[in-house]
Amino acid sequence: MAEKKKSKSRISPIFKRTVSHLFTKPATTKYPFVKPTLPAESRGKLVYEIKACNAIDFGCGEDFRVDIKAMRGSSCHVCVRDCPAKAIEIVEVEGKMRPQIDLNKCVFCYQCVESCPRDAIKQSDLYELATTDKGSLVMKPEYKKRASQ
Amino acid sequence: MPNSVDFISLVQSKFGDKVQIQKGVNGEASFVANNGLHHDILKAMIDADEKTGITSITGLDFGENLGIYYHIHTAKSFFTIKAEVPRANPKIKTLTDIHTGATFHELEVTDLMGVVFEGNELNGHFVLPENWPDGVYPLRKDINLSSVKLVPTPEREANKAAEGRQVKIIIGPQHPALLEPEKFSVTVDGETVTRVEPRIGYVHRGIEKTTELRTYLQDIYLVERVCGICNPAHAYGFVGVVEKILKPAVPERARYLRVIAMELNRLHSHLLTLGHAGLEIGYETVFQYFWRDREPIMDLIELTSGNRVYGSLITIGGVRRDITSEQIPKIKSVLADLRGKLPFYRKIYLEEPTLRLRMKDVGTLSRTDALKLSVVGPVARGSGVDMDVRKDLPYEAYNDIPFKEIVYDDGDVWARMNVRMDEVEESINIIEYAIDHLPAGPIKVEVARSVPVGEAVCSLEAPRGELFYYVKSNGTDMPERVKIRTPTFANIPSFLQTAIGESIADVPSNFVSLDPCFSCTDR
Repeated sequence: MAEKKKSKSRISPIFKRTVSHLFTKPATTKYPFVKPTLPAESRGKLVYEIKACNAIDFGCGEDFRVDIKAMRGSSCHVCVRDCPAKAIEIVEVEGKMRPQIDLNKCVFCYQCVESCPRDAIKQSDLYELATTDKGSLVMKPEYKKRASQ
Repeated sequence: MPNSVDFISLVQSKFGDKVQIQKGVNGEASFVANNGLHHDILKAMIDADEKTGITSITGLDFGENLGIYYHIHTAKSFFTIKAEVPRANPKIKTLTDIHTGATFHELEVTDLMGVVFEGNELNGHFVLPENWPDGVYPLRKDINLSSVKLVPTPEREANKAAEGRQVKIIIGPQHPALLEPEKFSVTVDGETVTRVEPRIGYVHRGIEKTTELRTYLQDIYLVERVCGICNPAHAYGFVGVVEKILKPAVPERARYLRVIAMELNRLHSHLLTLGHAGLEIGYETVFQYFWRDREPIMDLIELTSGNRVYGSLITIGGVRRDITSEQIPKIKSVLADLRGKLPFYRKIYLEEPTLRLRMKDVGTLSRTDALKLSVVGPVARGSGVDMDVRKDLPYEAYNDIPFKEIVYDDGDVWARMNVRMDEVEESINIIEYAIDHLPAGPIKVEVARSVPVGEAVCSLEAPRGELFYYVKSNGTDMPERVKIRTPTFANIPSFLQTAIGESIADVPSNFVSLDPCFSCTDR
């Protein structure tokens, strides 16, 4: 109350700066029109390559610790086991057991990318995943039809 | 500073055979102290070193007995006092009479584990929701959580009006000044606050319990989500404990990369608070400026980790991503840019009359009270307590990196904010030093998925203060018990004290100076 004389100038130091901003470029970006360039290896939507995911048919990679013989004939499940969000489940595709990633639950930690012994799950920097249809975010594993090549 | 006291021989000489000493367990040593001896040991330790305080209390379920572990920090070391009480009659003497800071920790154990602390009884619930049935303690092992039946919300004391001419103002759980839900019932006489009653637990997600149902690898990502802002600190807290049990040879480069990740996190967290303080006191220009300059730091986090917020860099055995030589110039230029802006911000915080009037001499916490309440981080350092885990118990590469410990003696909101302001500059120095001295080599070692039987503690300096983790493993790939003590949990008691006697209008500015994070607090 009695200490009002503390500052020398009555103009706040922030005032000058604020006025100068009237003449500078805005710090914000015009997002939907100008899209930011993400750094390489950004963790966006996962890409699943069903052809690479063949742990079931040929056993697992050599750095994979689980007993390979015991795994043969069943799905390798490494991504399912490590997923912290429990976003991956195994579904049957053409008689084979393959992971189905639910991006609604995915936390984009990329542990599955790291764990996969076959590099079947890959990185992409696609981040615009907003949709009105939740079902479209469930990545159903399917073999591509040869006719569509 | 006087040389640190030898607590092991102190306890040995004072209590002799009555206390069993386990060297190297949970800090420097664990003292097994039953029959009320925990009270005497803590008293002896506080008498020997004024910085002794309770970091956390962990409740454990051993079947027949319930364990109560008091995690004690002293100036330069860490101890655990282990006590056990029978499950049928879980009563133990409270420590609040010798150390006020124990209050919250004891109440939490009462609520989640059902141990009654005589002299500090809980009325209602502390972190659990009001409609949780009495007598059901979720952290006990025999509880089947899916069969718990919720009860209608009972009328508790906190919901009743104040007496006489005093008025009770309820701030929260949904309130524009609090971005997260938490309730503070502030009793005012005129405009002066006479009493503050907190009710935490609105965002209690049961993370401690959930960790017991997931593997260690999954738990890293889970505990990161305790707090969105200080997530690398949580990841390191958990990883740090697990590594103390597993003892992998973490590569030197990973130790530096972890420091960089945690310091980038501190930078963005401090800039967030410095701006947020402006918002809370109605100075939105400051808020906008700080948050604008925080954005390049977020970009750096994205550059080095792949994600703006959840870096998920730290993992058991090392880090998941390396900093490449192409990234270094970009990191350096952003940091140099921020350093150039700091003098202006410091000038605002020092000279701007609006900020000064709202912050100076508001919420003053004296050094004695700070020690008594065991506050941590910038709140403690703003009150003249030189406690910084990075200095006191250096972890990772902090031992090799020179930096200053920022301490202000004023103890008010202004001092706490200026501690953060100065730490921004120190963080920039640390990152630059770490990048310049980055050792070559691998960034990760392979570790086993199962963790051998053991227990360990880890405390580290998160942006908001000392973060504490305790993990007990049982030989499988899932932990037996994980205890998380977040910095805000330790700091809220100081707000309850400093708000009293001040104007209700000062409550927001006082509160924001703790850098409160309720998601952390409730877990």
